[in-house]
Amino acid sequence: MASFLLEVGTEELPAAFVDSALQQWEARVPASLSDRALTYSKLERFGTPRRLALLVKGLPDRQPDRQAEVKGPAVQAAFKNGQPTKAAEGFARSRNVAVSDLEIRSTDKGEFVFVQQTIVGKPTAEILTELVPEWILGLEGKRFMRWAEGDLRFSRPIRWLVALLEAEVLSISLVNGSTTICSDRVSQGHRVLHPQPVNLKTAEDYAASLRTAFVEVDPQVRHQDIQQQVTAAATQLGGTANIPAALLKEVTQLVEWPTAVVGKFEPEFLQLPPEVAMTVMISHQRYFPVLETEQKLLPAFIAIANGDPAKSDLIAQGNERVIRARLTDGQFFHQADRSLPLADYSDRLEKVTFQEALGSVAAKVKRIMVNAGLIADQLGLAQPQKQLVLRAAQLCKADLVTQMVGEFPELQGIMGRDYALASGEPAEVATAIAEHYWPKGAGDRLPQTLSGQIVGLADRLDTLISIFSLGMLPTGSSDPFALRRAANAVVNITWSAKLPLNLGQLLEQMMAAFTTDFPQTPAALPGQLQDFFLQRLRSLLQEEQAIDYDLVNAVLGENDPEYAERALADLLDVGDRARYLQQLRQDGILEQIYETVNRATRLARQGDLATSVLDPAEAIKPDLLQQKSEQAFYQALLKLLPQTQAALKQRDYDQLVKALGAIAPTVSEFFDGADSVLVMVDDLELRQNRLNLLALLRNHARVLADFGAIVKV
Amino acid sequence: MNFQSVIATLHQFWADRGCLIVQPYDIEKGAGTKSPHTFLRSLGPEPWSVAYVEPCRRPGDGRYGENPNRYQYYYQYQVLIKPSPDNIQDIYLDSLRALGIRPEDHDVRFVEDNWEDAAVGAWGVGWEVWLDGMEVTQFTYFQQCGGLDCRPVSIEITYGLERLTMYLQEVDAIAKIDWNDHITYGDVHLQGEIEQSTYNFEASNPELLFTLFGLYEQEAEQLIQASLVLPGLDYVLKCSHTFNLLDARGVISVTERTRYIGRIRSLARRVAQLYVKQRQTLGFPLLAKQ
Repeated sequence: MASFLLEVGTEELPAAFVDSALQQWEARVPASLSDRALTYSKLERFGTPRRLALLVKGLPDRQPDRQAEVKGPAVQAAFKNGQPTKAAEGFARSRNVAVSDLEIRSTDKGEFVFVQQTIVGKPTAEILTELVPEWILGLEGKRFMRWAEGDLRFSRPIRWLVALLEAEVLSISLVNGSTTICSDRVSQGHRVLHPQPVNLKTAEDYAASLRTAFVEVDPQVRHQDIQQQVTAAATQLGGTANIPAALLKEVTQLVEWPTAVVGKFEPEFLQLPPEVAMTVMISHQRYFPVLETEQKLLPAFIAIANGDPAKSDLIAQGNERVIRARLTDGQFFHQADRSLPLADYSDRLEKVTFQEALGSVAAKVKRIMVNAGLIADQLGLAQPQKQLVLRAAQLCKADLVTQMVGEFPELQGIMGRDYALASGEPAEVATAIAEHYWPKGAGDRLPQTLSGQIVGLADRLDTLISIFSLGMLPTGSSDPFALRRAANAVVNITWSAKLPLNLGQLLEQMMAAFTTDFPQTPAALPGQLQDFFLQRLRSLLQEEQAIDYDLVNAVLGENDPEYAERALADLLDVGDRARYLQQLRQDGILEQIYETVNRATRLARQGDLATSVLDPAEAIKPDLLQQKSEQAFYQALLKLLPQTQAALKQRDYDQLVKALGAIAPTVSEFFDGADSVLVMVDDLELRQNRLNLLALLRNHARVLADFGAIVKV
Repeated sequence: MNFQSVIATLHQFWADRGCLIVQPYDIEKGAGTKSPHTFLRSLGPEPWSVAYVEPCRRPGDGRYGENPNRYQYYYQYQVLIKPSPDNIQDIYLDSLRALGIRPEDHDVRFVEDNWEDAAVGAWGVGWEVWLDGMEVTQFTYFQQCGGLDCRPVSIEITYGLERLTMYLQEVDAIAKIDWNDHITYGDVHLQGEIEQSTYNFEASNPELLFTLFGLYEQEAEQLIQASLVLPGLDYVLKCSHTFNLLDARGVISVTERTRYIGRIRSLARRVAQLYVKQRQTLGFPLLAKQ
């Protein structure tokens, strides 16, 4: 058994690429080895900003031998009168066997000559030499580059290669123009703490040898080490470290030899909105902030340095100067921005592009105000509340042209809130400005104020309508305007705030308003948007709400315009019905009514009764009811009618489900009882009457769901 | 180390490594990259190693000298080497040593930062170099310039001279930098910051600037048609600076903005293509001097 080490030495890789490359290797290398019949016991991956490495343990010396059957010429060509022909002899010679070793087998194309052979496995070293360049050059990433005179493309220039099978160097080379990068046993240590090369004796020595050269090659070890160091440093400062997972992950791939360095800044900077200092620390400097309490920062930070731990004081001083300069900028911007009321910035939005063909952000803000007004009216808001909503809409983007947001774009909304309060705007308006951007991603917090919810909806609906109007619909993985996220947010805000919105109607009204400004809007837009929202509903119900796919189909329908319209007309209801069905399934209630209703629904497809008819008097001719069980069915439907109507009106589906459960035995009798009814009789009038009985049951059940879409589990 | 010594040290350092030391280019520009020593020379197969100081003007960055860290006029130290040497990062670290910064005593890091200048059809990948958390240098492997593939690839190193000197002198404002031992950066430039900011934001005459943009564009157009590469580039640079002044003045509307950038880009691309053709006609003379 042997171990194989591959190390690709590079100039500093982007942090995200290190993680992605190691994941790609984890996914591809096992398949690549098994394609070549090489087994192994363990695959370890290592990476730092300057290297990507793999250690494959427990490799055999060679591929296993295998038995192969090689097909030769057809029997007619191979033997004449029982004697081997030239063709047979040639085949035997080419496979290095005697003619007597040839066997005859029949195939579906006739009888052929075969030879059974043992193919000797190739040495592992030989196979790896073939595979490794593919492993390296098969990696994919954003913005790959060329360097010097060559055509190699990689994330950053490749500077060295180590390829060791146990103690032997495997010869691998990459050609880049006039330079050839050849594998060796020589790695590099930390750039400044260990400038001498590192000679590796064997593959397994890798991690330990590099540790002596101030490189921790195992990202998991660095990850843990950083977390521990940061936590300990924060405790020493008398606080708690704020360790965002994404920052920890990134910092892990920015250093080879992590040391936590503590720095401080003047407490006066804490008078700025805390988000300013947080943004400077986390996004710009990759520092970990330290919290005194949940809401209050300490005037200190923890940086993860890649330098000599003995020089931490000097390194801390340098970092302190940087954050001081940044926060001074922040102070300057904060003061300068507040010299004008927030509303005065709105005019300058004329100069900020939203999207080239759609004009400025100022134009977008006008549309957001129109949309917000439509939502407020649909919800029947009283004037004072509507005024708050419209004011929040008017100011929601004003901070984009302040100096602070120009410098720190992440603070959009946050600064708007701060400046709105400073300008004497009502608290709800200020909060709504910050909240209208929420949720920023899946699972993020949702807006709490009604104004924040409405402006958030109005903004996103404008983005959807306007970008769709340009035909820039998301395709596959490409969604540059994050339209899927926007539509998901519309649904999630509506659900979580329980807003009784008719989205279908809103979209119509908003599109009408939009088309006045942009008369070129394509006629396909309404249909495309409705379909898009239905898709998003489907995906949210299935993925975020964990509703079974057939139950999602049962509430959204499968190409069912009536259901599509109903879903968009009442987002709350469609979500409630889906969750209710899931609950019925879990409680075992669904199965009690499933059988009869599903059967009736499927059979009713043979008829033509409109799905909207609920009253048996409209569809049934009582004098045609011949058998007792169909009369009972009819009576049961008459009794069901008021219950269904009440359920529909009060959206009390429990009542309906109970009623359906109560008539299930009657329907069973109709289908399978002693007095069972044949529906598809030759007499067309009679047949229709019976199909209508079934269709009525289907229609009543449809108030809750399309039972035809439900699958028995 | 004072400001002028920093420049002198870098000149000496890069001259010792075979760079041609050239002088600043005499037309306003937003970055050292736009100097013909970089913008044009990074194109085509001829080798090129150059270092120079480039004064940069970014009218929109004016803060009337009130912001300690942001000026609308400042200096870059620019190095361009084609093809990019294999040990360029080590050479760069040596340049820090020459300035008295021992990487062994600090936390020097190369942090991903990709560069793109849509207005001249250029992009590259590289890093910002962090010295104890402060960005002191930009490193870029040029991939495209003027819309053309860079082959071979050049490496561009841009030092922020003020940042670097503030670090060396441990001062917290650009104005406090010692230029030599008795004159400060503020003595030299503070009044200029105040006046130029006033000009950029208040006193410039937008109508005149619009007219100038049109005239410069016409001139660039006729020079390009006459296959005059360098005069053509001069007028593209004038267009670009005039646009920046108009933009700082806040008189360029949304739709205009993109259109203006598009106009400059198409001129810049044509100059780049013209340059490559011209060098080809000349038989790429610097290839022979390799």
